[in-house]
Amino acid sequence: MKFTRRNFLAWAGISAVGAVGCDVFGSEGQELRLQSPVMQPEDLVKGRDNWYATLCRQCPTSEGVLVRVMEGRAKKVQGNPMYPVNWGKQSARCDAGLQALYHPERLAGPMRRTGARGSGEFAPTTWQQGLDTLSAQLGERGNGLLLVTEPIRAHQALISSRFANAFGGRHLGFEALDQTTYRAAVKDVYGQDLLPDFDLAHANFLLSFGADFLSTWVSPTRWSVGYGDFRQGEGRTQRGTHVQVEPRFSMTAASADKWVPIKPGIEGYLALSLAHVIISENLQAVSTDVNALTGGQGAAALANFSPDQVGPMLELPAAMLKGHSPADWIRELARDFAGHTPALAIGGDSAAAHSNGLFNLEAIYALNYLVGSVGEVGGVRFNPGSPIADLPAASTVGTMADWTSVAGDIREGRTRLLMVHSADPVYGLPASVGFGDALNRDDLFIVSFSPFMNETTAMADLILPDRIYLEDWGSDIPEPAPGYQVLGIQQPVVNPLSDLDPRSFVDVLLSTAQELDRDGDLPWGSLQQALRETSDALFALNRGSVEATSAGEFWNSLLRQGGWWDERETGPSASAPNGLYNQIANRAAQPIFSGEGMYLMPFSHNTLLDGRNTHLPWAQAAPDPITTITWQSWVEINQRQMEEMGFREGDIVQVRSSQGSITAPVYPNPAMRPDVVGVPLGQGRRHGPEYAIVGDDRESSNVLSILASSQVEGTGALAWASNRVQVSSTGESIRIVKFEGEFTSREIGNQIDNNPSEEIIKTTSPGASH
Amino acid sequence: MLPLVLVGLIVTAIVGFIIVVLAISWFSNPPFGLGNAPPQPIAFPHTVHAGSVDQGGVGIQCEFCHRNVTKGEAATVPAVENCLFCHKQINAENQAEDTPVNLAEIQRVVDRFNDNNPIDWERVHRLPDHVRFVHEAHIRFLTQGESRTEILPIGDEQPMQLPLTVGESCSVCHGNVAGMTEVQPQAGQSLKMGTCVDCHKTNNAPTDCTICHK
Amino acid sequence: MVTNRIDHKWGMVVDLDKCTGCQACVVACQAENNLPINTKDFFLQKRAYEWIRIERYWEGEYPNVKARFIPVLCQHCENAPCEPVCPVYATYRNDDGLNVQIYNRCVGTRYCINNCPYQVRFFNFWQPNWPERLKNQLNPDVTIRTRGITEKCTFCVQRLRRAELQVERVSGERLNDEKLKAGNYAPACTQACPTNALMFGDQNDAESKIRPYFDDVNTFDIHHEEERTTRGYRLLEEINTRPSIIYLKKVDQYPLNEDEDHV
Repeated sequence: MKFTRRNFLAWAGISAVGAVGCDVFGSEGQELRLQSPVMQPEDLVKGRDNWYATLCRQCPTSEGVLVRVMEGRAKKVQGNPMYPVNWGKQSARCDAGLQALYHPERLAGPMRRTGARGSGEFAPTTWQQGLDTLSAQLGERGNGLLLVTEPIRAHQALISSRFANAFGGRHLGFEALDQTTYRAAVKDVYGQDLLPDFDLAHANFLLSFGADFLSTWVSPTRWSVGYGDFRQGEGRTQRGTHVQVEPRFSMTAASADKWVPIKPGIEGYLALSLAHVIISENLQAVSTDVNALTGGQGAAALANFSPDQVGPMLELPAAMLKGHSPADWIRELARDFAGHTPALAIGGDSAAAHSNGLFNLEAIYALNYLVGSVGEVGGVRFNPGSPIADLPAASTVGTMADWTSVAGDIREGRTRLLMVHSADPVYGLPASVGFGDALNRDDLFIVSFSPFMNETTAMADLILPDRIYLEDWGSDIPEPAPGYQVLGIQQPVVNPLSDLDPRSFVDVLLSTAQELDRDGDLPWGSLQQALRETSDALFALNRGSVEATSAGEFWNSLLRQGGWWDERETGPSASAPNGLYNQIANRAAQPIFSGEGMYLMPFSHNTLLDGRNTHLPWAQAAPDPITTITWQSWVEINQRQMEEMGFREGDIVQVRSSQGSITAPVYPNPAMRPDVVGVPLGQGRRHGPEYAIVGDDRESSNVLSILASSQVEGTGALAWASNRVQVSSTGESIRIVKFEGEFTSREIGNQIDNNPSEEIIKTTSPGASH
Repeated sequence: MLPLVLVGLIVTAIVGFIIVVLAISWFSNPPFGLGNAPPQPIAFPHTVHAGSVDQGGVGIQCEFCHRNVTKGEAATVPAVENCLFCHKQINAENQAEDTPVNLAEIQRVVDRFNDNNPIDWERVHRLPDHVRFVHEAHIRFLTQGESRTEILPIGDEQPMQLPLTVGESCSVCHGNVAGMTEVQPQAGQSLKMGTCVDCHKTNNAPTDCTICHK
Repeated sequence: MVTNRIDHKWGMVVDLDKCTGCQACVVACQAENNLPINTKDFFLQKRAYEWIRIERYWEGEYPNVKARFIPVLCQHCENAPCEPVCPVYATYRNDDGLNVQIYNRCVGTRYCINNCPYQVRFFNFWQPNWPERLKNQLNPDVTIRTRGITEKCTFCVQRLRRAELQVERVSGERLNDEKLKAGNYAPACTQACPTNALMFGDQNDAESKIRPYFDDVNTFDIHHEEERTTRGYRLLEEINTRPSIIYLKKVDQYPLNEDEDHV
C-alpha cells in the first residue's frame, strides 16, 4: 500500500501515540489546498498587504485610520499619519473595530419580528420584503417619523435629516452622555457654534475640571497627542503642569501633577473664585480687557466669589491643604494658573452634568479670556464651518428634554414610526424617562438598522442590518476640527463576507426616498455618488491638501489621503460678550441632587464608552486603567471609607438611587473622595451578542438605568452626576475579574524623579540638541 | 504476572510502533514527501504548457502564470481568468476534433470560469505555518549579480553557472517542472529545513531563525 | 554572495512622563500578534496575558495619592536570564539585538518564564480558540502559537523583516526612524501610542532619537546613576540584564513626601 499523507493520518489516528503525532504534524485539510480564484485583482495577491485610508466609527470622534488589507481581509487598523485630527495615532477602540467587522454574531440579513415585542424572537426575511415593508410603513405612518442615529456629521447627517424632513419627521442623534451643555457654554462664552480645539502641545498650565480628556472626553486621541508634547515635547523649554479638579479619580487625574478632589457640582464657584483672585491681584494677561469682561465693575462683579467665601464650599480634604486655608489654596492656584502662560482651562464630563452644569462650564471657559489664551497659541482655537455649503459640521444630539418629549409623542401616538440606526436609547436613557415602556405599543412600528442585536433592536419590528463602516462609504467633518477645515472620507476597504448580507443604511434611505418620490432634496443614487459630487466641489475650490489636475485624479488622491483639509482656512476669532462675568455670576447656583447619601459618579468606560463597544472582546478585555477590572461592572469607593462601611473587595453591594437600584461588586480605590461612588457605564446589557452579556445582574449592571431624569438648567441635557445614592451590602461576594495581581508586582518600574532638577523639569530631549 | 517474554514483546511493539510512526511522519509529510503527486481536480500537464517547443510544449515562462513569483512572497497559482487568456481560443469550440490536446479537460477549465467556480488544487510543495518564504528574494539572488559558478547544496549538486534565467532558478528547488505531467518533489529537493540552512550557509545568507520562522 | 546586511540593534525608549495608561498599545499588540482573547475565565484563572501590559502602582494616601503607569514588555536583554535556561535553544539573542523565541523549537518547559525577572514570557495553557469569523482578522505574518509553548513580545519582528525586504533590499538605505514610521514598520505598540510615550529605533544608528538615551545610560552605569544627564534608567538595573529598553522617569512636580510650601 502506498503511504500517502491521508493514509498516514488514518493510521496514526488509531493510537494515542498517533494522536500526539497528529497534533504535531497534523494540519487542517483546507490547508492542503491551494485555490485558483476565478479573478485575481492585484491587491488580492497572497502575502501582499495594502493600506487603505478611511475613518473609524468606534467612537463619535471619527478618527482617520489606515486599514491593512491582505487577501481581501482587514488585518489591522492604525491611525492615518496624515489625518490632522489624530496624526497617525489611534485608541484601543479603533483597533477593536476589526472585531465588529468579523464579529461572530453580526446580524446576517434582514429579519422581522415573530414573537411579542421585546421578546427578541425574529425570523429571517428577504431584502425585497424588508424594503417593501419599510416603504409601506413610511407611506402609512411616515408623518411624525423619528429617525435616531448615533451622533453623525457631514453626509450621513445631511441625508438622514433630509430623509426625515421629507416625510415630515425628525432626525435626532443619541448619545448617553452628550455634549449639549458643553456646546451651549462654548456658544455663550465664545459665541461659537462649533466645538473648539485646544492647543495642549503649547500650553504651559492646564487646569481641567472634570473632563476625562485623555480617556473618553470629546477627542481623546487628539488631546493625547497634544498631551505628549505638553509633557516632554521636543523644543519645549518648560514641562507643562496639569491640575485636574474632579471628585472622582479618572484616568486623566492619574496623569495630572495634582488631583483636587472637589465637592461635586461646585466647579463653577472655584472657577469664579480663581477669576476673582486674578482680577483683584491684577494677574490677567496684558491683552485682557477686564472692564469689558466685568461690565466695568472689576473684581466687584465677583464679590460673592472671593476665596474666603468659596474656599469652605469646596470641602477640600484638610490633608491636601497641609495646614493652609482653602482660601490661600485658591489664591495660590490662581497665581500658578495666571503665572504660567499660555494657560488653558477646560471643563466637561461631571462638571457639566449637574443642574448648574452650564454655570460651571461658563465660569471655567471664561478663565481663558483672563489669561489671554482665547484664539492664541497654547490656548483655545476655533473652527471654521464646512467647506461645502449644507454639509453639517456639528452633530445634532437630543437632550433629556428632547427624549422626554419624544417618549410623550410615542405614547400619545404622534410618532408611529421609529427608525433607529446603531444608537441604543432603550439601554442608554434612564429608566425614569420610560422610553423603553413607551415603545411597547401596538400602533408603533420600529425599524432597526443596527448590525448587532441590542436593547433597542430587540424591540424592533423589522431589522435591516447596516454594513460595518469598514465596508461602507461615508464622510465626516471632525468636531472639533484642528482649527482649520477638514473633510474626512470613509471608503469601503473590504467587502462583506459571503455569508453576510448587510446593506448600507444611507443607501437604503436614498433608494427608499426615491421609490416613494420623496427624493426632492436627495438627488443621489447612492452615498458614493454624493461623495463624488462633494469631491468635485472640493476640486473646484482649488485649495487644500489634495493636489490634482483633474476631478478624477482629485477623487483618487482624496481617497488615498483619507480626506481633504486646508490649513489656511482657519476658524473665526472670538471676543468676549460685554459683561460676561456679570452674566455668569448671575447664573451661579448650587447643584441640586436627587436622593440621599453618597454622590453617584457614573463615568464613560475607557474602551466600552457608554456601552457601544460592549460586544467587542478586545474592548471588554482591556483593563480599566485605574482599577484594572475587565468584563464586569464595579462600584468604586474610597478604600478607607469602604473599611468603615464594612465592605471588602468583591462584596456585591446594592446602589439605590431615588429611581431604583443596581448591584455590582465593590472595588476599593485609594483615590476617591470618601463621599463619592464611581460606577462605569457599559455593562448590564440583556440583549446582544454573547460577549456583551457576560454576567448576571450581580456583576453586570447598567448604571444609566437608575439615574433620575433631572436636567441641566438652561440646556435640557441629562444631569447625570446629580444623583445621591445609598450603598448597602447584599451579603454576597464574588471575585473581581481584574488584571491587577496577575503578575506578582515587584515594583520593577516604579521610579520617579522626586527631586527633579531645573534641567529635568525643563524638557530634557537630548535628541533635539543634535 | 505476565511472562517476561510477553512484556518484552509488548514493549518492543510499542517502541517499534513509535519509531514507525515517527519515520512515516518524517518521510511522508508533503513538504518532505518524495514521489508524492496528489491527484489534481484538473489534469494540468506542465509538460504541454511549460515544456519547450522542440519537445512538443508551448514554452510558456514560469512567471507568466505564477505572476507574483518575481515580485513578492508567494508565487501564486494563476487565477482561472488567466487560463482563459489562451483557452478562450484553444477549446472544443475552436479546435478540430483530431487535435492532440485534451479538449475534455480544457472544457472543465472553461466551465469553471463560466460558472464562476474557483479551482481547489492539491498542494504539492507546502510550507508549514510558522515559516515565511519570499520567492522574490531567492529569485533575485539566482538571477542577478556577476557571472559565477557555484555548487548549491540542493538537487544533484552539480556546478551551476549563475546568474540563471527566472525559469532555471525555479528548477533549482522545484526540479524540472516543465518535464512533469504530474508535479512532484524531486530527490535532493525535499525542501527540509536542512536544505534551506545548508544553502543559506553556502551563500553567506542570514541564518537567524527569525529570517524564516515567524 | 548575498549582499551584506545592515547591522541593527533595535531598542525602545519609554517616557513614563508621557504614558497615560490608555491601553492603546495593549490592544494594538493583541491585534497585530494574534494573541488569544483574554476571556473572563482567563482572568479568573490568572492566565490572561498581554505581551505589553500597563502596570499600575498606587502611591500615597488619600487625598495625596498618585497612580503611576508603567508599560512593561519584553526587555530584550543583552544578558537575558531566560536564554541560558532553555534546554532546547528555543530562545536566543539574535544579531539584531532581539531576544527571540522560536515557537516550533519550544517544548514548554517554562524554565524561561520562571527565570525572567520581568515576567514578560507567557505560557499557552490552552489551545487558542477564535470564533470562525474572527479568524479572518488574524495576521498571516505571525504564527498562531499552539497550546504548550511559551510566547512573548517580538518587537514585531514580522514588521522589521518586511521592512528589510521592502526598504533595505530595494534601496540599500538604512532603516531609520523616519522609514520605520513611514512604512508602518515600527512595532504596533509604538505606532499606536497616542502620546508618543514609546519610541522605537536602532541603537546602532547615531541619528536615531533613542540613541542619546542609550549613550547616556550606557556611559553612566548604575553606580554613577546621579551623573546621568537624562531621566533614563533600566528596569531592575542592579541585576545587570542590560535590557534594550530604557525608561525615562516620571517627573513629579509636587512630590508626595515633600512638605509643600506652595500648594
